[in-house]
Amino acid sequence: MTLKGFTLGLIASFGIPWLLILVFPSIGMSHLDPVRFEGKDIDGGEGVYLPPRDGRITLGSEVYGQEGCYYCHSQLVRPTYAGADLWRDEIGGLAKSADNPQDTRRETIPQDYDGETVAHVGLSRVGPDLSNFGRRIHFHLKPGAEVTPEEWILRHLYDPRTNKGYRQNDTQLHAKSVCPGKKGLFETVDAVQGRAEGLDVEGLDDGKNVIPTARAKALAGYLLSLKRDTLNAPLPSTLNHAPGKPAAQ
Amino acid sequence: MAQPSSTPDLADVQLRADIDRSLRHPVMFFFTTGALWLAAGVLLGLIASAKKHMPGVLESLSWFDAGKVDAAHLNVLIYGWAAQAAFGIIIWLMARLSRKVCQQSAMILFAGHLWNGAVLVGTLCILAGYGSGVAYMEMPGFIWPVLLVAYLLITIWSLIQFQVRDAGHVYISQWYLLGALFWFPWIFISAGAFVFLYEGHPLMAAGIASWFRSALFLLFFLPVAIASAYYLAPKVSGRPVHSYSLAIFGFWSLAFIAPWAGMQKLTGAPIPQFLPYVGAAAAILMMIPAILVGANILNTVRGHATTVAQSPSLRFTIAGIVAFILFGLLSAGLNISSSLPVVQFSYTGYGMDILSLYGVFSLCAFGAIYFIVPRITKREWLSSRFISWHFLLSLYGVGSVVACAIVGGYFQGVGLEQYDQDFLEAAGRAQSYGWGITIAWFFIFLSNTFFGTHLLLMWARLGRRSSHPTLLQSHEADSPHGPEGEVDNYGVANGPAAAH
Repeated sequence: MTLKGFTLGLIASFGIPWLLILVFPSIGMSHLDPVRFEGKDIDGGEGVYLPPRDGRITLGSEVYGQEGCYYCHSQLVRPTYAGADLWRDEIGGLAKSADNPQDTRRETIPQDYDGETVAHVGLSRVGPDLSNFGRRIHFHLKPGAEVTPEEWILRHLYDPRTNKGYRQNDTQLHAKSVCPGKKGLFETVDAVQGRAEGLDVEGLDDGKNVIPTARAKALAGYLLSLKRDTLNAPLPSTLNHAPGKPAAQ
Repeated sequence: MAQPSSTPDLADVQLRADIDRSLRHPVMFFFTTGALWLAAGVLLGLIASAKKHMPGVLESLSWFDAGKVDAAHLNVLIYGWAAQAAFGIIIWLMARLSRKVCQQSAMILFAGHLWNGAVLVGTLCILAGYGSGVAYMEMPGFIWPVLLVAYLLITIWSLIQFQVRDAGHVYISQWYLLGALFWFPWIFISAGAFVFLYEGHPLMAAGIASWFRSALFLLFFLPVAIASAYYLAPKVSGRPVHSYSLAIFGFWSLAFIAPWAGMQKLTGAPIPQFLPYVGAAAAILMMIPAILVGANILNTVRGHATTVAQSPSLRFTIAGIVAFILFGLLSAGLNISSSLPVVQFSYTGYGMDILSLYGVFSLCAFGAIYFIVPRITKREWLSSRFISWHFLLSLYGVGSVVACAIVGGYFQGVGLEQYDQDFLEAAGRAQSYGWGITIAWFFIFLSNTFFGTHLLLMWARLGRRSSHPTLLQSHEADSPHGPEGEVDNYGVANGPAAAH
């Protein structure tokens, strides 16, 4: 084998997969056409499909990555051929039940990550999938708003094991959580400051308040924006992989 | 290596001594700083693992928050330890095999400091919460060009040495070294550019990061480990490489299969469907180079069980090669369509990361370090007991991490897939194995205190002044290095394999 042949072999064996799995898919995926509804009669909607999201998504997503949340939490609802995600309440969204009149589950679509620089697909599920965290928290918190979703998630970030407010299994559910607290995202200040933002947390010295930093608020806003389901946002038929209704005669 | 060696003359012995002397400072710098990073990486791994089942550990130190500490752990292991060990091996091995004295050791030493500085800043950024937030590529974007420049300043001289070598046989080890030097910049630049510069789809950024992690091991660390094994196995056992054709097939199967692997981590994500499929197929096919290389190296030392047991270099190298075969088989078993969805989001991926980084690469690198350091310091290792403890605790530790992560990860995945069971049930399954991983990291830490201390003593030039190599059993007439040993290059170089 000559050196020239060796080099050409290396270029070919590496260059072809490099083009086919890096370059071309990257270019293709960066110009995804907007998905349109087929019209009111077929899809129940008109115009371009935009997944509804609000909150500080770009900044919150950055904090999510910097804090390394993806080591224990995924953000991917796989199709049924690739896993049982859609049947799990913690992952796929909310199935129809006595408390929930509408089945809002769906698979992840490319538009779910709009506004983020990298999709936090995740490395493992030591904790639950967060694709529909925002939806879940609205559903599971006790009605009557003893605690708002934002308060709940901030308290969870501060100390995951003492948090309350769920309508079922209130105290037991999170008592055994192995999610470590992120106390670095909070500041402890004298109680005269930050009274409005002070969190109701356990084990705090008298005269002190725990208040969230800007990073904590961005992260909380991002987490609450995770509602990748079909509630109030039906999918166009080109994205919808669930079996449709039989066409009306 | 495959050709019979001629009797080395005095000029030849002198040349080898000159090469060793010219590279003494950079190589020792890479190995000792690498060993310090390794100790730091293992400690971070211990903390990261402990936090997965005892979340209160170090909770008040926000720099060691879970997630950030996981990222710092893997980045320190990869860039602090593994890359530097690889640099030391590359520059020494390429100089020896090309028979050229290194002219640029001061520049390499400078670039080595640059690399260390960049890794330190990058790690501190990760721990302070200012990493890039991309899985497997957490070093902040501005660190990447610095790492690239340092890399080029370290390795470019090895390419030049190869280019200006006296024409002659190109050794199998040199193919792998050239491959590693060719692949690393391409992988590093394209991953960095596509993730940090190109405004692409966030899912492709995640996919490319997975590909980067896979390619970095399969096409940089792995080739360096194999190059070292193809050098040491014939050298220490005194036998030629078992089969030249197997070596060719082994090399090209790696070159053609490995670049496709990586994106199977995104199975089920809405990216072009063939990407995870082709990734899984390549991961399954990685079995082929693993078996070919493994069979070739093991056959080279077959019948030399005593030599393998006695020589620290060979003992570590063979353990690393066995780990590579295991890696190939597990990679096939875990990526078939029935198990991939189960283990995709479990501890298993971490187990494979550690098996590849510590089980395959680091064990081979330890073997190379035990061989190279006495030659460049002209001192022998002080204590065979230290080496034995390093070996046993390393093997026990990495075996436990990998077994707990892969078996525990599998049960965790099975629990997650049983959707009628509570999520906490599946999470609980993983926790007991998490304990096992933490304890195993402690053993790895112990093993590396033996290694690090020993290496620092050698660096301080406190090694034994002896021409007898340190063997793990009593000195015998049939010692693998010959009755006189060949550590002292001015002494009688002997044995049929002492030629290069």
